Amino acid sequence: MRERYERQSFLGADSDKIFANLTVGLVGGGGGGSHLAQQLAHLGVGRFLLIDPDRVEETNLNRLVGATARDAERHCRKALVIRRLIRGINPNTRIRTVTKKWQECHELLRGCDVIFGSVDTYRDRYELEVAARRYMIPYLDLGMDVHTVNDGFSVSGQVILSVPGGPCMRCLGFIREELLKKEAENYGAAGGRPQVVWANGLLASSAVGVFTALFTPWQKQPPPGYLEYEGDSQTISISRRFELMKDKQCPHFPDCRDLGDPFWIPRRFRLSPGRP
Amino acid sequence: MRVAFKINRALLANVFKDLRRPHAFAAERVGFISCRVGGLRPRGWVVLAHEFHAVADADYLPDRSVGAMMGPEAIRKAMQVALSREVCMFHVHIHAHYGRPWFSAIDLSETAKFVPDFWHVRPHMVHGAIVLSQDSMAGLCWHPQAALPIRFSEFSIVGTPMRVIRESK
Repeated sequence: MRERYERQSFLGADSDKIFANLTVGLVGGGGGGSHLAQQLAHLGVGRFLLIDPDRVEETNLNRLVGATARDAERHCRKALVIRRLIRGINPNTRIRTVTKKWQECHELLRGCDVIFGSVDTYRDRYELEVAARRYMIPYLDLGMDVHTVNDGFSVSGQVILSVPGGPCMRCLGFIREELLKKEAENYGAAGGRPQVVWANGLLASSAVGVFTALFTPWQKQPPPGYLEYEGDSQTISISRRFELMKDKQCPHFPDCRDLGDPFWIPRRFRLSPGRP
Repeated sequence: MRVAFKINRALLANVFKDLRRPHAFAAERVGFISCRVGGLRPRGWVVLAHEFHAVADADYLPDRSVGAMMGPEAIRKAMQVALSREVCMFHVHIHAHYGRPWFSAIDLSETAKFVPDFWHVRPHMVHGAIVLSQDSMAGLCWHPQAALPIRFSEFSIVGTPMRVIRESK
């Protein structure tokens, strides 16, 4: 094990090799995504696919880890700021950045071993999970929200691990038709969503913990599939819904046609010399 | 070029459970996994396992020269699955050892005889064979545009925990 990773050797004797061989897709490079990128780079993840079409604004500087006032002045791409952040921690990391909406480059996500979604809408979350399940890729969703309660505010959030075969976000009651419908009706009216750095950080740290438990042998128990963050009490707990659903089979993707390309076309190719 | 195979942890457990059952006269069991395919950028594809299809007891032939010999009815049934469900088919069997497995010479010669037959029913898909050891796997993929079978470069066992096995280059 390299000296850099000695302090995390308890994750498993080969944990550095496991992380170095993984390709992680990060969709959304905002408050949550930047924390994720930083921590995953520290862990030693070897390859990243960063997808975010947005540029850094002044209003991002309250939470966007790695972004500077100068980045906001120059309206730098968030994906490029995160690439700089990762490279600063681990220069050997292989990083592909895409400054488009993920729906415009979804075929690139198929090559990932895991996808993190740090996106704003239920529709995006739902579509990302469907895309991940189609290619049997675990999907880790994180997000936070600030609600108006009486004359104050309440912060909440979630980390959901959706593994093909296990309960999906619809099984867990997180994605519901009425939420998708309500969101579609209010489309364009939401404005800037309230976000704060500590809630983004807590949720991202929890998601990285779930990711680590998913790929390394350090925990005997399977990682929790649904963590709920309660901002008022500053607590993160395993969702009761997940406890009820964790051993149930997901009924939402039953058919073999839910897997792979709808129409796969074999292309001509040439094998490299020396390959069998 | 990346050529990947993914299988759900629960499905893999079912495959092991079935293939470890004793047979009246065959020394081992074999089966088929129906799969779908997706393209990978920039080059390659991923085979996604969906369902295991055991070879029926009556569809083995008595042949002491090999561990298990499938009869024509076993192949016909597997071809029927490929035809009716729009899937590709991968033959599967187990080796008893631990560590990275590979096909024996007889495995390779026998597999090469029947795998290309699946193109008669699903010509635009890959088909092939997977060999499992007690803790690892390997496989070959017949691509309709390639003269020779192609070795899988990586395997993912999808579930909790996740396991990714990559062939060393």
